Amino acid sequence: MTTPMLLVSAFLTLLGAIVVLMAMIGMVRFPDVFCRAHALGKGMTFGLFLLLAGLWIDLGREAVGLKIVAAIFFQFLTLPVASHLLARLAYRKRMFRVGVTEVEPPAVEKKTPGH
Amino acid sequence: MIDGILTLSFLVLVVAMLLGFYRLARGPTVVDRVLAFDGVVLCAVSMTVLLSRLWETPLYLELILIVSSLGFFGTVALVFYLDRTMPDDGHDAGVETEQEREEKS
Repeated sequence: MTTPMLLVSAFLTLLGAIVVLMAMIGMVRFPDVFCRAHALGKGMTFGLFLLLAGLWIDLGREAVGLKIVAAIFFQFLTLPVASHLLARLAYRKRMFRVGVTEVEPPAVEKKTPGH
Repeated sequence: MIDGILTLSFLVLVVAMLLGFYRLARGPTVVDRVLAFDGVVLCAVSMTVLLSRLWETPLYLELILIVSSLGFFGTVALVFYLDRTMPDDGHDAGVETEQEREEKS
């Protein structure tokens, strides 16, 4: 392990932790369910990607193989889906902030088929 | 220096997790709480990544995958449960709906 790669890895780790902190600050400061889902979906995905990239650089390709790529792919697959599901639930249940979001008739059907 | 950077990142993640707990206790609606719980689980996953970085072992990758998938499936199960049980107009959700606002004024 050469020193510049170690420094790059430490920088990526610190940057990922700061991005995760920014996502959670957005969770606290934003006024709405939709804004909070936005902050969580984007910030957490990018922060975990940076942290896992730093771990990949630090451990080296021989030690972890493709497993960490699978972890990154899994984060990119699931986190936006979870935040989109929550925002869609809030939209279906019409949890709009009064006076800010225009309340329209629901564009989705009442009951989705299947449940 | 590397150890100092890792300790600083760990402190930053602890602050992020405390903010998530604040939103989990405070959040006005159920959906806010589910979002905050998802955030807290992901902060725990980030801490696991940092521990794996600190101790130079790839053994925790399975733990990262399992814990994050548990958080995801828990969120999906809660969303489907809430979709069935919550009333349609956001009533009882802690959000002031349009009707309640009109009644108040």
